[in-house]
Amino acid sequence: MRNCEGIRESIGSWLDGELSAAESESVRAHLVSCTDCGETRRRLEKMQLALKAALISQAPQIEFMSFWRGVERRINQKRAWYDDLLDWSRGLFAAPRVAWMVPAVIGILLVLASTDVWRLGGSRNSFASVESIDAYGRSVALLREQETKTTVIWLYQDQEGENDAAEDTAKSAPTF
Amino acid sequence: MERSDWELVQKCQAGEMDAFQELVSRYHQKVYMVILGLLRNREDALEVAQETFFRAFRKIKSFQGGSSFYTWIYRIAVNLSIDAQRRQKRNPLDFRESMDEVLEAQNEVAKDPFSDVHDKELRQTLLKAINDLTPEHKAVIVLRTIEGLSYKDIGEILGCSEGTVMSRLHYARKKLQYKLSEFL
Repeated sequence: MRNCEGIRESIGSWLDGELSAAESESVRAHLVSCTDCGETRRRLEKMQLALKAALISQAPQIEFMSFWRGVERRINQKRAWYDDLLDWSRGLFAAPRVAWMVPAVIGILLVLASTDVWRLGGSRNSFASVESIDAYGRSVALLREQETKTTVIWLYQDQEGENDAAEDTAKSAPTF
Repeated sequence: MERSDWELVQKCQAGEMDAFQELVSRYHQKVYMVILGLLRNREDALEVAQETFFRAFRKIKSFQGGSSFYTWIYRIAVNLSIDAQRRQKRNPLDFRESMDEVLEAQNEVAKDPFSDVHDKELRQTLLKAINDLTPEHKAVIVLRTIEGLSYKDIGEILGCSEGTVMSRLHYARKKLQYKLSEFL
């Protein structure tokens, strides 16, 4: 039988019906016998209900014809050439197209790390730098240790708010 | 007999405006609700929803049917919303106004079937907690809660794996539960 920690991580997916038959049965069986996990399930269900009510009840019904007129107006509006250019350039820097920046930033950092310019200060033997790649929190860190001739390149995504839950084992593939 | 989304898309690609209008009529309310869930401001949501369909119209010829039309349109909607959301965050005054508007809207709807949510304090705490989520976490919560989409569909919309969707949902729910702990 799986432990409570593992079960609690799966309750949300279980409620969503996203577990395999075997996993689902394992969670169900545990919830029948474990009061604490049963309480976690109750709290999660209550929150889901509140969430649904809050998100759905705030939405007014949109009258179709007035909505359509708005879309049609945009379609018929002649766009300036620079609007198209702006759209194109936005797309260039949006994930996942921004992926071309990763090797570019690594390359620049490697060049900087291997340049003697950094040693002009005299005492600087090692090099460390962190560069943000995009607005989605992706960064690349580079550490070069001169004595052991070691270079470490570290790509990561800063998942804001997930740090407080770092003890949890993420089941997924990395987001980066 | 009702025509499928794919049939309508093909008609659009052949230049039939009526077919596009029918697609808009099928999805405008759903798309609007998802965007409103992300932006929390009715006017902004309406603007972004109309812009979503405009962009879809412009790109419809490149749509090959590799995914369903609704995941494609939601993808455009979510991307535009995330961009708009980042602009909102850079402008705290706009953000405050939009929150006021949402709270006001809550008072207009007194008939929802969930008695627990009638509690004003819970509503306010919940809306604030949702707003504090990162755009990516908010997107999975909104797509799952409002549309009940599968992890696979959400992954297609957000361009990530099902595992990532599962992970983001887990962390987002955990964060919301923590902030709502006194009400649950």
